[in-house]
Amino acid sequence: SCSRAKDVTMPAKLPVNFFSTRSPVIDLFRGQLDYADHLRQDSEIVLYFFYAPWCGQSIAAREEIERVASRLSDQVLFVAVNCWWNQGKCRKQKHFFYFPVIHLYHRSFGPIEYKGPMSAVYIEKFVRRVMTPLLYISSRSKLLDFLSNYEPGVLGYFEFNASPQPPGYLTFFRSALHSLKKDYLGTIRFGVITDKHVAEEISLVHSGSVYLHRHVNTSLIYPNDIMNYTAENICKWALENREMLVRWLRPHGGKSLLLNNELKKGPALLIFIPYNPLAEIHPLLDEITKVALEYHNCNKSQAAEADLQHLGDTDSPAFDSSVPDAHMKLPETISIAKYPCCNTVVLPQWHSISRTHNVCELCINQTLGIKPNKVHVPHCNFLEIEAALDSFYLQEHTFFQVVSSTIECSNLLSFYSPFSYYTACCRTVNRHFLSFISSEKTIFQTPKVAFSSHGKKDNTQHSIPHIEDRNCFIPDHISGTNITGLSCRTNKTLNVYLLDSNLFWIYAERLGASRSTHLKEFATIVDLKEEVHYVLDQNQSLVGSTLEDFIKNFSVVYSPLKRHLVDDPSVRFHEQHVITEVTTSTFHHTVFLSEKNVLLIYYAQWCGFCASLNHIFIQLARLLPPDNFIVARIDITRNDLPWEFMTDHLPTILFFPHRRKEQSVKFPEDFSVNLPNLLKFILHHSSLSSSEPCTKECLHKETVLQQGHISHLEREIQKLRSEINALHQAHDQLEAQLSEARREEHRLQQQKHTLEKQHKSLQLHSKQLQATYNRKNQELLEMAEKLQQLADASENLLKENAILRILVASREEKLQSKDETKESLQSEQTLSEDNDISGSTATAPLEDKRIDNTNTVETEHSSGNRTE
Amino acid sequence: VMAALRSLGPLLCLWALRLPTGPGAAARPLDIASYRERVRAMFYHAYEHYLESAFPYDELRPLTCDGQDTWGSFSLTLIDALDTLLILGNVSEFQRVVNVLQEGVDFDIDVNASVFETNIRGEVGFSVVFMQDYLFVRVCAVHRVNTPVIQKYDVSAFQTPTGMPYGTVNLLHGVNPGETPVTCTAGIGTFIVEFATLSHLTGDPVFEDVARKALKALWKNRSDIGLVGNHIDVITAKWVAQDAGIGAGVDSYFEYLVKGAILLQDKELMSMFLEYNKAIKNYTKFDDWYLWVQMYKGTVSMPVFQSLEAYWPGLQSLIGDVDNAMRTFLNYYTVWKQFGGLPEFYNIPQGYTVDKREGYPLRPELIESAMYLYRATRDPTLLELGRDAVESIEKISKVDCGFATIKDLRDHRLDNRMESFFLAETVKYLYLLFDPDNFIHNDGSVFDVVMTPYGECVLNAGGYVFNTEAHPIDPAALHCCRKQKEEQWEVEDLMREFYSLKKKTNKKFTFKRASDQGEGESAKDPEDSSSEKGGEKRNSRKNLHSLLSCPSQSFTSKLAVLGQVFLDNT
Repeated sequence: SCSRAKDVTMPAKLPVNFFSTRSPVIDLFRGQLDYADHLRQDSEIVLYFFYAPWCGQSIAAREEIERVASRLSDQVLFVAVNCWWNQGKCRKQKHFFYFPVIHLYHRSFGPIEYKGPMSAVYIEKFVRRVMTPLLYISSRSKLLDFLSNYEPGVLGYFEFNASPQPPGYLTFFRSALHSLKKDYLGTIRFGVITDKHVAEEISLVHSGSVYLHRHVNTSLIYPNDIMNYTAENICKWALENREMLVRWLRPHGGKSLLLNNELKKGPALLIFIPYNPLAEIHPLLDEITKVALEYHNCNKSQAAEADLQHLGDTDSPAFDSSVPDAHMKLPETISIAKYPCCNTVVLPQWHSISRTHNVCELCINQTLGIKPNKVHVPHCNFLEIEAALDSFYLQEHTFFQVVSSTIECSNLLSFYSPFSYYTACCRTVNRHFLSFISSEKTIFQTPKVAFSSHGKKDNTQHSIPHIEDRNCFIPDHISGTNITGLSCRTNKTLNVYLLDSNLFWIYAERLGASRSTHLKEFATIVDLKEEVHYVLDQNQSLVGSTLEDFIKNFSVVYSPLKRHLVDDPSVRFHEQHVITEVTTSTFHHTVFLSEKNVLLIYYAQWCGFCASLNHIFIQLARLLPPDNFIVARIDITRNDLPWEFMTDHLPTILFFPHRRKEQSVKFPEDFSVNLPNLLKFILHHSSLSSSEPCTKECLHKETVLQQGHISHLEREIQKLRSEINALHQAHDQLEAQLSEARREEHRLQQQKHTLEKQHKSLQLHSKQLQATYNRKNQELLEMAEKLQQLADASENLLKENAILRILVASREEKLQSKDETKESLQSEQTLSEDNDISGSTATAPLEDKRIDNTNTVETEHSSGNRTE
Repeated sequence: VMAALRSLGPLLCLWALRLPTGPGAAARPLDIASYRERVRAMFYHAYEHYLESAFPYDELRPLTCDGQDTWGSFSLTLIDALDTLLILGNVSEFQRVVNVLQEGVDFDIDVNASVFETNIRGEVGFSVVFMQDYLFVRVCAVHRVNTPVIQKYDVSAFQTPTGMPYGTVNLLHGVNPGETPVTCTAGIGTFIVEFATLSHLTGDPVFEDVARKALKALWKNRSDIGLVGNHIDVITAKWVAQDAGIGAGVDSYFEYLVKGAILLQDKELMSMFLEYNKAIKNYTKFDDWYLWVQMYKGTVSMPVFQSLEAYWPGLQSLIGDVDNAMRTFLNYYTVWKQFGGLPEFYNIPQGYTVDKREGYPLRPELIESAMYLYRATRDPTLLELGRDAVESIEKISKVDCGFATIKDLRDHRLDNRMESFFLAETVKYLYLLFDPDNFIHNDGSVFDVVMTPYGECVLNAGGYVFNTEAHPIDPAALHCCRKQKEEQWEVEDLMREFYSLKKKTNKKFTFKRASDQGEGESAKDPEDSSSEKGGEKRNSRKNLHSLLSCPSQSFTSKLAVLGQVFLDNT
C-alpha cells in the first residue's frame, strides 16, 4: 500500500463558474471558444475576458468587468472564457503569457486588445471608443471643440453624396479602430467631417483627405501619393507625427522602462490629478493643457492662439457667443499653412549682452521645387525637415545678426534633396518678454516678409552652441511675465506629463506628497540627471497660475526652487527610544542645535549589514550618559538630507562633537563596528578633552560631568545588582538542581537499600528453597529405597511364584500319572482336586494382583530414577 | 515570547490606522489584512491535518491523508513549522509543541540522513529558541548537553582530504563505507550559519572551523573565470557536474556567503561572494535572467530559469542591490503569471516548461524575495505577487487534508506530497509579506534586555537572519553568547576613562592604537591619528573596506515601483 500511495495523483479540479450566474457576463468556464466565436456573430460589439480561475489579477479584474458590463450590457456582449482549463478549446488554441486578457471586436474587426488599467472606468471608456471610433464633426463648433483638445486629433473629410459610403471611408474607419490596437490609451482621436464648409475651415477640399491636427507645429495632411492609403499606414503616420504637449503616463504594472525613457529626455513636470475618463468635462485638465500649450508656443503661431482662445472659452456656458471670434482667426491658420512643413529653431546668441533672441521658422517650400502642381495637397516628412535643418545649421550664422522687428526670410537649397527648397524666416525676440508680448503681436498679424540673400553677413562667431545661453541673464521680472513660449527661451525645457492620481498616487507619495491631504493633486518637477526634484507647495491649489509660476521659477537661472527633501512621516516614537530616530525635518534640530555630542547612524531597514548591528548601537546608547550624548539614527532611504550630509554607503557612522558640530568625523570603515571600537572612536573625538581655563562654566560642566559619572555609576550599580540578581537566580537554580540531585541520590540510596533487602530476602528464600529441595530429594530417595525393597520383595514373591508354579506343574504331572494308574483312588483324588481347585482359584487373583503391583513399582522406580 | 506578544499588540492598532481610504473610482489597493488572515487559515488547515493524520511521520500525504518519512523520522513538518507558529503569534501552541518535541525527538537513530538537509532543517531547536529571551539563558547551557550527538554525526562527514563533507551520513554510525564522494556545491557550502551558531553556543569552535574549511575548499576550486560547478568529488576535488548558475545545487552556497557575512560581520565571506557575483553577472546574466553556463568556458549550457533561483533577488536586496533585484524579480513574476506557480525548470527562449520539470512543490523562494524586496521598496507589485500566490495555492493545491504539491503546472495535476518547507517557509514568508509590522521586521526600535550571568545582553533588536529553511537567528543572541569577558572588561575600562577624561589629559586609550590591537590585518600607522589624514587614506581604500555595507539607493529608486525600472546612467 505504501508504494501505491506514493504514485497517487489527482487531476485538477473541474472548473466551476467564475462569474455568478446572475451576472450580465456570459461565463464559458469550460473554455468553449467555439461557442464564444459563435456568439460573436450576433453582436456588433463583443468583449472577451479570457481568464484563469487561479489568477489573482483575473479575480481582481472580475469585479471591474462586471461593473462595466452592468452599464453597457445592452450594447455590448460580454463573454468570459476560462482559458486555462486544459480540456477546453480556448486553452488548446490560445497561448497567453498572462491573465486576464481582454479582446474587443467591432463586428469582424478585431481582436483589439485592451492593455490599459484594470479599472472599470478606463475599461468602459475604451469599450465606448471601440463602439464609436469616429467622432462625427457636423458643425464648426464641434470642429473647434475637436481641435482644441490637447490630445492629437485626426480628421477625415468624406462626402456622403451618392453612394452610402464614399471611397476611403471604410479604410479611415478601420484606421481609427486600428489605432486603438496600437495606442491602447486612445490618445489619438479620430473624427469625420461630412460637410464641405466645415472641411474648408481646415483647408480640406477633396473628399477622402485626412488631416492631422497639431497645435504648435503645422498640421499635416496625409500624403496619399507617397504612402498607400491603408488603415495601418494612416494609423502609423498619425502616431509618428502626432504632437505630444502633455502626455499621460500609465505604467501597466509589468516591467517597463516608461519612466526611465521619458525622464531621461530631460527635466519633467509630473502633474498628478484625479482623472475620470468618463467625465464629460475636465476643467483642471483643460487648465493644465492650456499652460502646456502656452509654454510650448514658441513661434506664437496663430493656430495655437486660436486654440487657446477656444480652450479658454469651453468653460463658459455661452459657447456660441465666442464662435464668431474664433471664426475670424481660422483663416489665418490656413494662411500659415501655405508652408506646410515647418519647424521652429532658436538660434544661439551672437552677442551675450544682447537682450534679443533670434527665432527662425524653417519651412520646406515646395512651391519652388519641381512639383508645383501639388501645392494644395502638401506633404512633408521628417527626412525632409531633418535635411533642411542640417543645411540650415550650416548656414545659420547668416541669421545671427538679424535684429529686426520684421520677419526676414531666406530661401535655401537643401543639401540632400536638390529639388526642394526651404525657407527660413527669422525674427528677433526681445528678451524683455513682457514688452514683446504686448507690442509684437501686431507684427505677427501682419508679417512683413522680406527676403534677404544668404551669406552676406558672414562675420560672426561660428562656434556658438545651439543650446542656449548659460552666461546670459534673464531679467528678474521674467517671473512676472507670461510663460508663452518659455520652452524655447530656457535651457531647461520641461516635458509635461500627467498621471492619474487614482492609479498612481504612490509615485506622488514617494516624491513627497503629503499623505494627509484628501485632495490628490500634486505637481513636481523631476530632474533625473541632476538627481533633484522640486515640489509645488501642496498648500497652494493646483491651478493654472500656480503651475505657471512653478514653471517660471524653475526656468530662471537663479531658481528660487529648493530641492525637495522627502521626509518619512510615519516615524514612530517609542517609549523605549534609547536611540533617537531622526528624520529630514528633525535632522537639523537634533544634530546641530542640541547641546550634546551626537553620534548619527545612517541606516536602512533592508540593509542586512545595518540591521544586524542594531543591538550594538542600543547597547552603546544605554552606556553613554544621556546628558552629554545623543545616539541617533536616520533611515536614509526614507529621508533625504542636504547633499553635504548624504552618504553613499550604509551603515555610515558620523560623530558630531559638541561645539564643533561642523567638524563631524566618520567612523572609519575598516574598523569593525563593535562596542569597544565605537567607544574609543567617541573618546578620541569627544570635545570633553579640550583644555580650557577653568571658569565658572567649566566648573559647572565639571559638576555636570561628575553628576553624569555618578548616574553612570549608579546605573552600573543597578546593572551589577541585576547581575547579582541574575547570578542569584542562577545560583538558586543550581541549588534547586543540586537539591533535586541530592533528593534523587537519596531516593536512589533508598532504592538501593530496599533492593539489598530484597536481595537478602531472596537469598534467604533461595536457601529455604534449597533446603526444601534437599529435603524433598531425601524423601524421594527414601521413597525409592522403599520401592526398591518392594520391588525386591515382589521379585522374591515372583520367584516364589515361579517355584510354586513349577511345583504345581510337577505336582500336576505326578497327579496325571497317578490318574492313569490309580483310578481307584479317583474319588478320593477328586475330593483333594476340588480342594486344590478352590485353592488355586483363591491364589490366581492374588497372582494377578502381584503382577500389577510389580508393574507399578517398576514405573515408579523408573520415574524415581529420572528425578534422581 | 513575551517580546513577540508585546510587539504584536501595538502593531494591530497601527494597522487599523493605515487602512486605505481610497475614493470610489480609484484602483483599490490590496487589503493586506484580509490576505494575512487567509494565510493564517492556510497554515492551520495544513498544520492541523498534519497533526491529525501524519504525526509523527516527517510529512503529510495530503491526497491519501496519511504520513510518510522522508528525511528520517524526526517529525520534520512539525519541527519546521514550529517557529511559524511563533511568527503567527500562537505562543501557547508553540510551547506545547516544544514540550512534545523535547521528549520525543531523537536524532541518535540508525537512519541515513542527508547532512545538508538535516543541518538546515533539523537544527531548528536552537534557532527558534533564540527568539525568546526567557529560554535564552537555558540555550547557551542546555545545548552543551546535546552536542556530542550532533558532533558525532555532523563532523564525521567533514573528514575528507579536501575538507568538503560527504553528502550523506548515518546518524548512528557516521559515514557509510562505500558512500559516494560526489556532493553538490550547496551541500558543501551551506553550513556556516548553523555551525557558527553552534560554535558560539557551545564554545566549541570545531563546527565553525569545519564549515569555513569547506567554504575555502570550494573557493580554492573555482574555475579560472571565477565560477563553481554543480557537483564535486569531495575526495579528489574534481568537478563532476560543471554547470554553473545560481540555482539548484549551488543556491544556498551563495546565500550563506552573504548571510554568514551579515551574521558574523565577516569580510572574507563577503569578498568571496562579491567575486562570485562579478563572475555571475559577467557570464550568466542576460536581460536580467540568470542562465546556466559551462564553469570553465562561460558558454551557455542551459537557457533555463529554475524555481529555486528565485531566492536571488531577495539576497541582492540584503546587500543593497535593489534595482537589479527588482528587475530580475519582475522577470520571474511573469513566469508565475503564466502558470500560477513556478515550474522547476522554465525554458526562457521557448517561454515554456521543460519536460519532466513541470512541477511546483509549493516552493517559497519567489515569495521570500518578495518579502525582502517589500521591506526595501514598499512596492505594491510585491503584494500582488503575494495575492497571486495565495489565490493560486488555495485554488489549485488545497485538498481536504492539506495542500498538495502541483505535479504538473500545465494541467495542475496534484501529487501526494506536502513538503515540510511549505509550512516552514512558504506560509511563513507569505505571512511576513502581509504583516509588515511583525516582530520579525523589527527595525531595532524595540528590544529586550536580559541579564545573564555573563553580563547584560540586548536581544530581539531585529536583524534576524533566516537560514535557508527560514528559521530565524537573532544576531544579538549570537553575539551575547560569544561575548568574551575581555570585551566586557574593555568596555568597562573605557567607560571609566570616559568619566575621568577631564583630569587626565594624556589618554590611556587612543582610538587608533587600541583598534590596531583589535584588528591586526588592518593595522594603520599609529602616528596617523589626525582625522584629515585618516580621511585621505579612507578614500584611497574605498573599495577595500566598504565590503560590509550596502550602497545607498539612487534617486531613481523613488520612482522604481509598479514595474518601472531604470537603466544606469553610466
